[in-house]
Amino acid sequence: MWRIWLLFDPRRALIALFTFLFVLALLIHFILLSTDRFNWLGGHAAPSAAAQHMSTLPDTAKP
Amino acid sequence: MADQSRGSLSGLTESEAKEFHGIFVTSFIIFTVIAIVAHFLVWQWRPWL
Repeated sequence: MWRIWLLFDPRRALIALFTFLFVLALLIHFILLSTDRFNWLGGHAAPSAAAQHMSTLPDTAKP
Repeated sequence: MADQSRGSLSGLTESEAKEFHGIFVTSFIIFTVIAIVAHFLVWQWRPWL
């Protein structure tokens, strides 16, 4: 397996790998920030499952 | 001799390739462990499946 570095220049391979991982990480983080459930910066704190649970509380409290 | 020092496309010798491969594999394992821990913590926070 180490023979791969006889084919590919490690400097170029590392630059390509780090660039790819950085762009992928940036993409995933922004996708998560755009959602309600996985936005960790404010926004709606309640997950969807908890929101359904919370919706039943006013019904029991009405009478 | 040519295969040892000058025959590779990247210009690395076999010993250099082996040395770099060791560093690369170690770094990859560390990166993977950190990623697994991060995914575990996010799953504890809000599971996505």
